[in-house]
Amino acid sequence: MTSATTTTAAVATGLATEERASRLGKGVRLTGFYLLLVIIAAIFVLPYLMSVFAAFKTLPDILAQSPLRPPTSPTWSNFSTLFSQYDFGRYLANTLLVTVILTAGQVTFSMMGAYAFARMQFPGRDSLFWLYLMTLMVPNIVTLVPLYVLFAHSHLLNTYWAIFLPYVLGVPYQVFLMRQYFMTIPKEVMEAARLDGCSESRILWKIIVPISRPILITATLLAFIFGWNNFMWPLIVTNSNSLNVLTVGIANFNSNFGVAWNLILAGALVALIPMVILFAIFQKHIVNSISLTGINR
Amino acid sequence: MIIGAALTTLAGCAGWGFGGSGGGQTVTLTYALWDPHEQVGYQQSINEFEKLHPDIKVDIENIPYGNYEQKTIAEFITGGAPDLFWVNTPWLATFIKDGMLTNLTPLIKANHVDMSQYYPQLVALHSVGSKIYGLPKDWDTIALYYNKAYFNKLHLTVPANLSWNTSGTGSFVTFLKEATTDASGHNALSPQFNPNKIATYAIGIDNDPQGGWGDYVAEAGGKVLPYPGAPFTSLATPGVNAGVTFLTKYLTGDHVMVPGDLSGPNANGNNLEQMFAQGQVAMWEQGDWNTLTVKTGVTFPVGVATLPIGPAGRVSVFNGLIDGLNSHTKYPKQAWELEQWLGSAQSQAIMGSGGYVWPAIKSLDPLFLKYWQKQGIDMQAFLTEAHGQVVNFPNSPGVGDALTDVDNDLGPAFLGTEPVSQALKTAQTDANYVLRTS
Amino acid sequence: MSVATAPSTALPKRRKSAAAEDTAERRRTVRTAFAFLAPSLLGVVLFLLIPIVFVIGLSLVQWNMLTPMKWVGLSNYVNIFEFDGFGHSLLVTLYYVILNIPLQTAFALGMAMLLRSKHAGSGVIRIIAVLPFLSTPVAMGVVWNWVFNPSTGLVNQFLAHLGITGPAWLSNEATAMPVIAFANIWQYAGYNMLFFLAGLGAIPLSLYEAAALDGATKWEQFRRVTLPLLRPTMLFVLVTGVIGSFQVFDTVYVMTAGGPGNATEVASLNIYNTAFAGFRIGEASAMSVVLFLIILAITIAQFRYFNKRITYEIA
Repeated sequence: MTSATTTTAAVATGLATEERASRLGKGVRLTGFYLLLVIIAAIFVLPYLMSVFAAFKTLPDILAQSPLRPPTSPTWSNFSTLFSQYDFGRYLANTLLVTVILTAGQVTFSMMGAYAFARMQFPGRDSLFWLYLMTLMVPNIVTLVPLYVLFAHSHLLNTYWAIFLPYVLGVPYQVFLMRQYFMTIPKEVMEAARLDGCSESRILWKIIVPISRPILITATLLAFIFGWNNFMWPLIVTNSNSLNVLTVGIANFNSNFGVAWNLILAGALVALIPMVILFAIFQKHIVNSISLTGINR
Repeated sequence: MIIGAALTTLAGCAGWGFGGSGGGQTVTLTYALWDPHEQVGYQQSINEFEKLHPDIKVDIENIPYGNYEQKTIAEFITGGAPDLFWVNTPWLATFIKDGMLTNLTPLIKANHVDMSQYYPQLVALHSVGSKIYGLPKDWDTIALYYNKAYFNKLHLTVPANLSWNTSGTGSFVTFLKEATTDASGHNALSPQFNPNKIATYAIGIDNDPQGGWGDYVAEAGGKVLPYPGAPFTSLATPGVNAGVTFLTKYLTGDHVMVPGDLSGPNANGNNLEQMFAQGQVAMWEQGDWNTLTVKTGVTFPVGVATLPIGPAGRVSVFNGLIDGLNSHTKYPKQAWELEQWLGSAQSQAIMGSGGYVWPAIKSLDPLFLKYWQKQGIDMQAFLTEAHGQVVNFPNSPGVGDALTDVDNDLGPAFLGTEPVSQALKTAQTDANYVLRTS
Repeated sequence: MSVATAPSTALPKRRKSAAAEDTAERRRTVRTAFAFLAPSLLGVVLFLLIPIVFVIGLSLVQWNMLTPMKWVGLSNYVNIFEFDGFGHSLLVTLYYVILNIPLQTAFALGMAMLLRSKHAGSGVIRIIAVLPFLSTPVAMGVVWNWVFNPSTGLVNQFLAHLGITGPAWLSNEATAMPVIAFANIWQYAGYNMLFFLAGLGAIPLSLYEAAALDGATKWEQFRRVTLPLLRPTMLFVLVTGVIGSFQVFDTVYVMTAGGPGNATEVASLNIYNTAFAGFRIGEASAMSVVLFLIILAITIAQFRYFNKRITYEIA
């Protein structure tokens, strides 16, 4: 009898130890998990954080203090120098101008093309769409030199036009994206409107657009981000400093004054902060846009 | 082209993106340069010019040397190049061949500009046949800046006429050995000299066709180009070989010259300036445009010695800039006025007496000499060489890019990882390709 | 009588006018469709198709945009390898792609698997990881210049605390390209993680349960369930990643400008220098064509490899 009780007791203790062991194991795993999360978070957040700190420090402070330390006496002087002495205000204005134009045109014209492909019947529709898709295979670098020559020939180099023109008439990627979305809108919606006597234009603008907010926001974001971050093309088509966009301005500043960390990091922030703000506001759309590409079809 | 038509219609509105050009009474010219120090002098000169020409304003645009050539050509392609812009010899022939510069000969004749006041080599440098593409405005030669305090400590005076030969001997080498000190204070002539612990090298010479091997090649009778404008080089020849070998085999081998790996990436001499200031090299071979840097960067008195005499004599590479007149300028008359002014004795006197640059007008040279004498540096050596034997900087379309390839290919020879003859063969092949396709 | 006859005569008339109306309607639709398509079509023709044809033509001449073109046939294609170091640039680019893509894909997948859970932290980190994707590469390049600066940067200062003297990251041939690859991985791993999250979400849990019942370990489940069913996502991520990597420019331009020497001179940088610093339009065009063909070949190879192995249907 004692053996039975001892065994049960032993088994009970054994089970308890096992339970404790597995709970300990789970605890270790959980701690490990959160540790990984913290490390990942640090890797992604630190560069921004350090840049923000540095942009508000003077150069001696940057050189003397650890990059991880917040500014002890924060100053706006770097930004004021950039905007008064180095024309960054102009660069910012230029970037805004061309990016807004690029975005407005690209989204509008891509949307029109997407609607035509998605819900209108016309001869050659499928072959034409295939053509659009095939151009997605062409890397940007290939068209750079010939486009430059074409623009030079048309006396368009060194103008605002040159910066946004190749991207403003609608691009196949956006057309593809929006067409996929439009195809999920039930045909009946458009049929009903057509029977009511609506022109295709009216259908597109008055009916489709209001219910396509998600894809339109995604398309607008993608276009804006592309335009804002674009570097190589503006670099080669503009010469005058007065036409520089932020990316070109930062790169030039880096070549000439790269060691003025206080100024160059402040300059980088002028380009980065608007994107961070954009992300903060529209982060859900960006994350959800992946499902809209329907790549798992 | 249909595309052209489509895009040109849009280009009709391409007015915005350009600054408005000054119409009416006052004309504004753009004048591009790269040296911020000389810019101060030129601003003074231009202030005088604007007083004499109240209807012309001049905007100076500083384009850093690193991408000066590229930016100017790009501006030419987009139609917005400056009216006047500095032209350096590496790209002089390219600019002329590409039609970017105005032939000034008719204007020179019509305005009776006296070309004999300039150094004849400079006039020849900037001419193609009878066409002259700029009024010479400055010149430079190569000499040896040296650390007076160091030589005083060694009780050495720098002799006036040192010589070298292609076997690696001669008074120059002997002197350099006397001037090289190891950590224990022994010079390179002493049997206790430790080449692994050198405190001060006698001389620093870089891998460069103007301020480095170019002079020794010339002194050995070698030529980079067989003749001005040649579409191929004469690098793989005995004269060139002898000049380069003297540096890589004898001077480096004797431990009197800063070795290639210390002097900078690809032995380009980028570190020599700092080494000179820190007393790690006693003599720094360079062009006179470095004088202000030397003056402000070192704490010891500086002297200047002439180059040594080689088998073909004492020869320095000679160079000078011109102000190119944009062949597509909107204001040819006013641009010529500025060109003429900058080539005139009044302007060059301002530049010379302020110590900014040697004036191309021979009679004004003493002004520059006097300025620097007051600053404590005797620049006579540069002048002596200018009045002696000189070879013009190599001049041919594409020569700038060709010489960049040559420097890259000669690097291994200076680093001791490749024999000179092989490096020169590679350099010749690469350079010839560039010249052929420029 | 009239009632009976009226419809029979009226009917054909109505059908004909309806048919005519239909054609007119259809023609109007086609016109409108092409009107809607016109801008993007114009864009594709002007800015994609014509340049592709034009660059092939340009690759057969020597031209500096200021003097007349000179016909040289195919010699540019030889010269870019013999004299312009394009072969070297292609190797450098390949090296970059090999450093970048496998690691980036692994991190993206790893993060997706890690952050799939419903834990509170996961959601926040998922969002944070995506932020870099819209950071201006030029601006980030400048930030990394500072982070990896030998004396004032965080990395070497941190290493100094551990008693290690960090290398001159961007001036050292061995470390320069890995740092550039790191910058790119940092920028896009999070965004690619999103694709993997979507792909992982599409795999039914029943498959995992079935596999577990069969006695499969977690690792075996990963290899035999997750990876095969992720192939469409993998294909997308790899194809877009490789195409993008072959064209890397901004980061290299700002961080090393191709240096030290030409250790990081990637193909796009060589094309840029040849065309816009050297003004050798013909050679640069030949380089562009070669790069295009290489990217095309690799993309087709990737599609072939995956198409043989993708199972879209889940039984």
